[in-house]
Amino acid sequence: MAADPLAGRAVTGVRARQAGWRVLTTLGKSVAIFVPVFFVATFVTFALRSLSGLSPARLQLGESATPEAIHNIESQWGLDRPFLVQYWDWFTDVLHGQFGTSWVNGADVATLIGLGLGVSVSVALLALVLGGVLGFALGTLAALRRSTWVDRAITGFVTVVSVMPAFVVGIVLVEIFAVGLDLLPSGGYIPITEGVDLWLAHVILPALALSFDVVADVARQLRTGLVSAYRENYVLGAVVRGLSPRRVFFRHVLRNGVGPALATLGIKFPSLVGASVVTEWIFGLQGFGRFANDSAQAGDVPAVQGVLVVSVVMVVTFNLIINVVLGKVAPAALRGV
Amino acid sequence: MTTFTKTSPTETSPTEIAASPTTLDPVLSVRDVRVRGQVDDREFVKGVSFELTPGKAVGIVGESGSGKTLTCRAVLGVLPEHFEVSSGDIHVAGVDIASATREQLTDLRGSTISAVFQDPASYLNPSIQVGPQIAEVVRVKKGLKRRAARRRAVELLAAVHLRDPELVYSQYAYELSGGMLQRVLIAAAIAADPRILIADEATTALDVTVQAEILDLLADLRENAGLALVVVSHDLAVVAQLCDEVLVMREGEVVEQGPTARVLYEPQHEYTRLLISEHEQYGLEKFLTREGP
Amino acid sequence: MVRRVLSLTAGRVSAAILLAIALLAVLGPLLAPLDPLAVSDDTLAGISGSHWLGTDYLGRDVFSRLLDGSRASVVGALEVTLMALVVGAIPGILSVYLGRVFEWVTLRVADTLIALPFLLFAVAITALLGNGITQAMLVTGVLVSPLFFRVSRAATLAVARSQYVEAALISGASLPWIIRRHVWAKVLPPIAVALAQTLGVGFIIVSSLSFLGIGVQPPEPTWGGLLASDLGYLDYRPWAPFAPALLIMATVWASNLLADAIRDVSGEAGRALLNSRKVRANQAAAAGGTA
Ligand SMILES: Nc1ncnc2c1ncn2[C@@H]1O[C@H](COP(=O)(O)OP(=O)(O)O)[C@@H](O)[C@H]1O
Ligand SMILES: [Mg+2]
Repeated sequence: MAADPLAGRAVTGVRARQAGWRVLTTLGKSVAIFVPVFFVATFVTFALRSLSGLSPARLQLGESATPEAIHNIESQWGLDRPFLVQYWDWFTDVLHGQFGTSWVNGADVATLIGLGLGVSVSVALLALVLGGVLGFALGTLAALRRSTWVDRAITGFVTVVSVMPAFVVGIVLVEIFAVGLDLLPSGGYIPITEGVDLWLAHVILPALALSFDVVADVARQLRTGLVSAYRENYVLGAVVRGLSPRRVFFRHVLRNGVGPALATLGIKFPSLVGASVVTEWIFGLQGFGRFANDSAQAGDVPAVQGVLVVSVVMVVTFNLIINVVLGKVAPAALRGV
Repeated sequence: MTTFTKTSPTETSPTEIAASPTTLDPVLSVRDVRVRGQVDDREFVKGVSFELTPGKAVGIVGESGSGKTLTCRAVLGVLPEHFEVSSGDIHVAGVDIASATREQLTDLRGSTISAVFQDPASYLNPSIQVGPQIAEVVRVKKGLKRRAARRRAVELLAAVHLRDPELVYSQYAYELSGGMLQRVLIAAAIAADPRILIADEATTALDVTVQAEILDLLADLRENAGLALVVVSHDLAVVAQLCDEVLVMREGEVVEQGPTARVLYEPQHEYTRLLISEHEQYGLEKFLTREGP
Repeated sequence: MVRRVLSLTAGRVSAAILLAIALLAVLGPLLAPLDPLAVSDDTLAGISGSHWLGTDYLGRDVFSRLLDGSRASVVGALEVTLMALVVGAIPGILSVYLGRVFEWVTLRVADTLIALPFLLFAVAITALLGNGITQAMLVTGVLVSPLFFRVSRAATLAVARSQYVEAALISGASLPWIIRRHVWAKVLPPIAVALAQTLGVGFIIVSSLSFLGIGVQPPEPTWGGLLASDLGYLDYRPWAPFAPALLIMATVWASNLLADAIRDVSGEAGRALLNSRKVRANQAAAAGGTA
């Protein structure tokens, strides 16, 4: 049967198409989940102006403005149109990367956010990498040495880590590395283009502070995932076929046990992005968390809306990536096996 | 590397092969093996002994929970956690399992001794297509290159009588039926040309026709590849069809052991008699007349 | 259930810690030896008999601020939790009964809330809405409500589709009895777990917010706010963050521990584990993979 080359080629073609199709289906399904999320999130974000009752007129004219002056300014900003019309305009602008102009200084919001994005993304991604790597190492070690003192020590450590909020970790890190040992700067940012070591020195502490949460969750999920994967029959099957423990771990156990941990990375990412408000404040970084905080305190609605939308886009994009990776690595996890 | 082809099921009876003059060294010898559970310090297997020479088949029957699977797992060196072989010894191709290193065991498994179990779907990695799982064994155990391993895996799928092996190669376990999965599992088990194959309830839960096909396949492998079989079943008919020697187990004890024909015709133990009488209505007669002396 | 939770060490420890924290919240402001807002010239003082935890950069007594601030910190987390319960559970239950459109919309909203970077949203929205404590609790409560939405929805689904309720009705059991016996038994444990978890999460969020000066604003003391005012003076009082940080962490830890304890005793497996050593032995054996 296999000797027929034509048949072989046809089947190979079918297989390639199947594989491509599988990736597309995962992507399609994920998009189907995240499109409503994006809509709801932008809608809520946009509704903030009406909810807060803030107006650029108050910012520009102060409390003593006459109703006519207020009306004038509001119609300049197009705020007197029906709510849904405003939403639709704003939404199409957002799709084009336009977030309008700041009420406070008239600057382009997209540009302002862009200025802080490098800092925030640097910190968030580094935190993700740190948290992922440490969490994977700890979770794997605990699973491989399950029910020994190593496992218990890691579980204990992870519990302690998981109850430390980012700002507490941040303060402790500043205390140890900046104040105590004077090894690292306690704040500020230097772009990676001006030297990787300088960049790293400035972002490592905030990233570490953010990563604790990730470490704890990834380690826990991975341990659980691996331990339960080790109990599966296909592991026994692989052992009986004479595969080495290392191969059994990497190809059979890890592949199926990693699902929950990967999914956790996706779930944790929003809180990583969110916690940037706190860490950027502690470490004096001018990222978008700080920008969101400052803009919100100043009542600059378009700026806040812009930051929130950007954060949602980051979360959604990251989760799409995670879903595709998950579909590749452990298709069974997505099928709910 | 032996590539065997399907021959029409011959009528050579197993006893003829066993009686063939070549006195072979046993590939598997199990001597008075006892398995103990460490948690409550109970013995689950209380003294099992048998020997297996190439091309021979030993059957283990007994009700569920009688310790058949634990015996098999002891032989494979994969007892569940908290279980241990408390006495007796097991030699696989002359290697003592108890004193073998982890590497030695890994070497033995797959290329000397291999196994298939009940519920075949669960023994395949759900995240990898079934073909690559067979190719993996070929690659690791036989040192074939990627492409050659793939080709060999497809050959193996064809050898276990799967129609359209190329397609099956790229399917996932959940896409295949129980009978196909058991064939895939057998293909994976024999991929590294082992000398012993343990089939632990390999046909349980398959419907009757599929069960018969799988049994034919096993008989086929035995005759054409010289595979020694350990066939485990709670079903006497399955064991009777394939094996030269039968062990009847009950609550961890071997209550009766001997050549298949003798055990079937002159059962000594009342439990064996019970098993046989239970089977009378399921057409065991057929085997008795066909395989009788 | 309470008794079974307390029969676990974890349950007792967490209950004891939470009780101590609750006492602190009730009595703290009364026990404060000095006025927590009174400024003095004695700034950044070390530990002494008159200032047990020293003074901050304005010369205020830190020990008094810590005690006084415990009420706002704890009450904040409690409010968030209750808010989340109400905002989450009601649509969660209704989503089973009010038809497909309502179900779809609530599910999507829950998905969205989960996916939002909540601290960022909490900070931004609270500040936009006027930066008051009420706004903070409202916003945070809504943001963490999906947990209750899911839990109550799942529990309602389980009860709505269960046959034992029907069977009990047919066999003539009274409705209150059925609710007590079957519905509560199913619904209460997951809600209790979610409450304990949310208490922990809520505590982290509330202290993060007060750390940033959002919701409860300076000069009113909170544990989070105390940490913020310590941050600038680590050179002078490096040990200052420990007391508030420890209190925050202990509360969060105790909440998580309590959630785990409730989960342990309410799950079928957990119960068996408690009752019989033999079952435990079997489970240990069954848990084994390859040797
Ligand atoms: N993984 C395990 N954990 C706990 N008990 C087990 C396990 N495997 C087997 N046993 C016990 O050992 C006994 C024999 O089991 P087994 O060898 O699987 O029986 P059989 O294969 O004959 O049905 C059973 O009574 C079962 O309770
Ligand atoms: Mg068995």
